[in-house]
Amino acid sequence: MTRTLLMAAGILACLPMLAGCKIVKNPDPNSAAQTAANMTDEERMAVLVAEVYEPRLKPYMHEGARDAATVVAAIGAGLDAAGTSYGIPKASEGSPWNFIVEGSGKVIASNRASRAATIDVDVTGDGAADLAIQLGPVIKGTALRDATTFFSFSDFRDQIEFAKLARALNDTASAAIALPEGDLIGDTVTFTGAFAVPKQGDPILLVPVDLSVGGNQ
Amino acid sequence: MNFKRRLLLSAFAIGLTGVMPGIASAADLIAIITPSHDNPFFKAESVGADTRAKELGYDTLIMVHDDDANKQSELFDSAIASGAKAIILDNAGADATVSAVQRAKDAGIPSFLIDREITANGVAISQIVSNNYQGAQLGAEEFVKLMGETGKYAELLGRESDTNAGIRSSGYHDVIDQYPDMELVAQQSANWSQTEAYTVMETILQANPEIKGVISGNDTMAMGAWAALKAAGREDVIVVGFDGSNDVRDSIREGGIKATVLQPAYRQAQLAVEQADQFIKTGSTGVDEKQLMDCVLINADNAGRLETFALSE
Repeated sequence: MTRTLLMAAGILACLPMLAGCKIVKNPDPNSAAQTAANMTDEERMAVLVAEVYEPRLKPYMHEGARDAATVVAAIGAGLDAAGTSYGIPKASEGSPWNFIVEGSGKVIASNRASRAATIDVDVTGDGAADLAIQLGPVIKGTALRDATTFFSFSDFRDQIEFAKLARALNDTASAAIALPEGDLIGDTVTFTGAFAVPKQGDPILLVPVDLSVGGNQ
Repeated sequence: MNFKRRLLLSAFAIGLTGVMPGIASAADLIAIITPSHDNPFFKAESVGADTRAKELGYDTLIMVHDDDANKQSELFDSAIASGAKAIILDNAGADATVSAVQRAKDAGIPSFLIDREITANGVAISQIVSNNYQGAQLGAEEFVKLMGETGKYAELLGRESDTNAGIRSSGYHDVIDQYPDMELVAQQSANWSQTEAYTVMETILQANPEIKGVISGNDTMAMGAWAALKAAGREDVIVVGFDGSNDVRDSIREGGIKATVLQPAYRQAQLAVEQADQFIKTGSTGVDEKQLMDCVLINADNAGRLETFALSE
């Protein structure tokens, strides 16, 4: 995946030069591939995420999102069955189940003082919070990376590069969150996002790719 | 001569649990190569692989490379010469290991890596990688929470030559550095060692009596740091480790060390053997070469379910 992307990026970057250039065998130190090799993992992953986030990741999330209330109820009844029905197939043994959901619900509680701010939302309408939506600036976990089927560990150099990918995705999601100030308790929020559940009973911490106050879907 | 003696020593240091081929060849042989069993983590790997291999009807050849790439290379020659059908390996260096695994591959022997990855793809059949970065992030998230997102802290680093020392430190800082009120006042290596961590902690404490927390690259160093803090009457300091050892589990249950991160070493080793078995029988494991296995946070809530690097349901 990365390789394909980098190649695509390389070809694109070379296009303007082609007219005036002859193709030579020696590697050009200024080529896109060479530039990528000189970047830090953070920089390279930031470039990759900037390329895929809007055109690919967000449409993927919107297409793949299941109804949040349905998924939350299913997880409550049994994680593995819910994962099989609504989740992303596990990458390897010991991986958590990842889910992509959309929905709306009322804000029951809120913690916006933490750097890892959250709001607790009731999506089933029973008055109890079902999931927490992460508001950043610190976003925990790797759900955005792992809920996609187009980022595969095998395509990355090692766990560090793969981790930087997750971080770049989280940073991009975090930067896009724009909510009014205040605790928002009692407000209705509408969201699309992903979360991971390692084992039954673990809290749901959703990373939103879209989040707004008001409205019912 | 020298080479031969070292080889024999290596093979017999831990004890040969398998049957030497040539003497008997009733069952196929799987070679299991890990770092020294002095660290219970690596022992758990070796035992996990050995147990599963025997359950599946294999003989085993158990060897340790002591994190020495040259010794590991000799052990590979030994495994190849013994006619092993597969090699289970926790390797002695991401770069240095590639040629040894390639040599085994050229000799028709597939390698199945656990814990740490190597820098080349397509040489080993499986690389079941312990997600140290993710584990470190989990540990750091818990640490930050316990610290109330603010305060001075120290970090104990592992042995510099070990890839995982760097990976864990990066994972810790990936999280902690997003909290501007968390202040790193000391960062020092204690080389994974409990005794070294004790003295390092004493020194850090003298220079920085105001520290509120210590995050450690592994559990043995966390144990050393905790002992030093205890001796100094500083049991208020928050200590978080990494590995999920029984020692730290016990400390957590006594209200000492606050948290650690479990790498599922035992299960990982078993899984590698299962994939080797599948590969020997069918020519394919049916899964990707590189598999990332997540770590699990251990704190007072689940420490009671931890035993020898495995968490029961």
